[in-house]
Amino acid sequence: MLIHRPDGAVTTPPADLSASPAVLSGKRIGLLDNRKPNADVLLGRLAERIVERTGATLVRTETKNAAIPCDDQVLGLLAEEVDVILTGTAD
Amino acid sequence: MYVDKLDEPTSVLLQVDDGADLVDALAQHGWGDGLPVVAPTPERVDAMLAGNPGDAVIAVLPPRFGEATRRTLAVNAVMAGCLPVHLPVLEAAVRALARPELNLRGVNATTHCVAPLLIVHGEVARTAGYHGGRGAFGPGNRANAATGRALRLVLLHVAGATIGDGDASTQGGPAKYGYCVAENVDASPWPAYPTTIGMDTASAVTVHCGEAPHNVHDMESDDPARILDKVASAMATTAQNNACISQGEYLVALCPEHAATCADAGWSRRDVASYLFQKARLPAAELKRAFALRAWEPWMERLGDHDPAPMTAHPDNIRILVVGGPGKHSSVIPSWGMTRSVTLPLADGPLGNESTPC
Repeated sequence: MLIHRPDGAVTTPPADLSASPAVLSGKRIGLLDNRKPNADVLLGRLAERIVERTGATLVRTETKNAAIPCDDQVLGLLAEEVDVILTGTAD
Repeated sequence: MYVDKLDEPTSVLLQVDDGADLVDALAQHGWGDGLPVVAPTPERVDAMLAGNPGDAVIAVLPPRFGEATRRTLAVNAVMAGCLPVHLPVLEAAVRALARPELNLRGVNATTHCVAPLLIVHGEVARTAGYHGGRGAFGPGNRANAATGRALRLVLLHVAGATIGDGDASTQGGPAKYGYCVAENVDASPWPAYPTTIGMDTASAVTVHCGEAPHNVHDMESDDPARILDKVASAMATTAQNNACISQGEYLVALCPEHAATCADAGWSRRDVASYLFQKARLPAAELKRAFALRAWEPWMERLGDHDPAPMTAHPDNIRILVVGGPGKHSSVIPSWGMTRSVTLPLADGPLGNESTPC
């Protein structure tokens, strides 16, 4: 028996993460907190460790609502001012 | 068991062994909702399309970003048990899902139990058999059950809202199997729901992304306020997303008898919403204590601890609909929060008057 697939085509290219820098020393770190409980704690501690261990600099922290896409203006600021963004999803 | 057969430019056919369990066979691809399905054979899909073109993309649905064409919708409609007269309703619902204010990516991907409720309005409800009367939320009516299920199958297959992948729902929910009802406009004392947003069309659909209905019963009141106080009580709780997201809507599905009690006392639909806005409140301190993280309007943040805080930022966020048959049970359907309901005309009805509650 032949049946149709029910899923439909996907032609939107997937969004890929940028390649991670090989060395963090001297890089500018930004945080994007989705405001889920403890996201700020986790990301903040992570940033502290990276700064301590690599000499990178934390230069900007932004927040977004976890339920909606990040505002383009916020993404633009981060893109201009930082080399690496630490963020996370889910709870 | 399968042989992919790329023999059509716009669709892919699969070979399934005769006698194979179709539910199991589909599940191997991650498809299906766990229930038996009607095999979407080319003959059945063509019959569903009824000679209409099927390959233009009408929506791209996240998080998978699958392309919904009329043919793809027809495939899922066949699987769900729809009839061809149900396909225009499904198509309008999918167009509504794709509207940015509905925020389908969030609706699908959240840990919340939210499911899109499809509400059918107007002439198509009568001609295609949708039910808004006794027991309207189900079970028993084919149009409601099959179209609601088809919409979920589209979300599973095209949007990729599969549990653990594109759907992170902590507990899931029965409304995720199928959630479709008709407005009972014949038993409503008020004009059809789409007119509340200025839409004058023969047939329309509304999609509201929320929880399953919460029952409110009042069998003894002949006073609107006494009935609506119970409705307000169901709204005024910290146990829902509306408590921390002030843009969230409530859908209040009044049964015809409760609606008649309100209308007989001279209350319009707007009066009902305004009353509920005033009465569905909790002390601001209680809400703030329950939710350190809030998405509230700035003016709500300035309320004093003892001020009664509304459960939503504006009376227009309380959407009043008449659903059901004899009896005195209404229901409250809280929103997921970061979403807005969308009402669209059917494609073959008068166009150019699409609108969203504001």
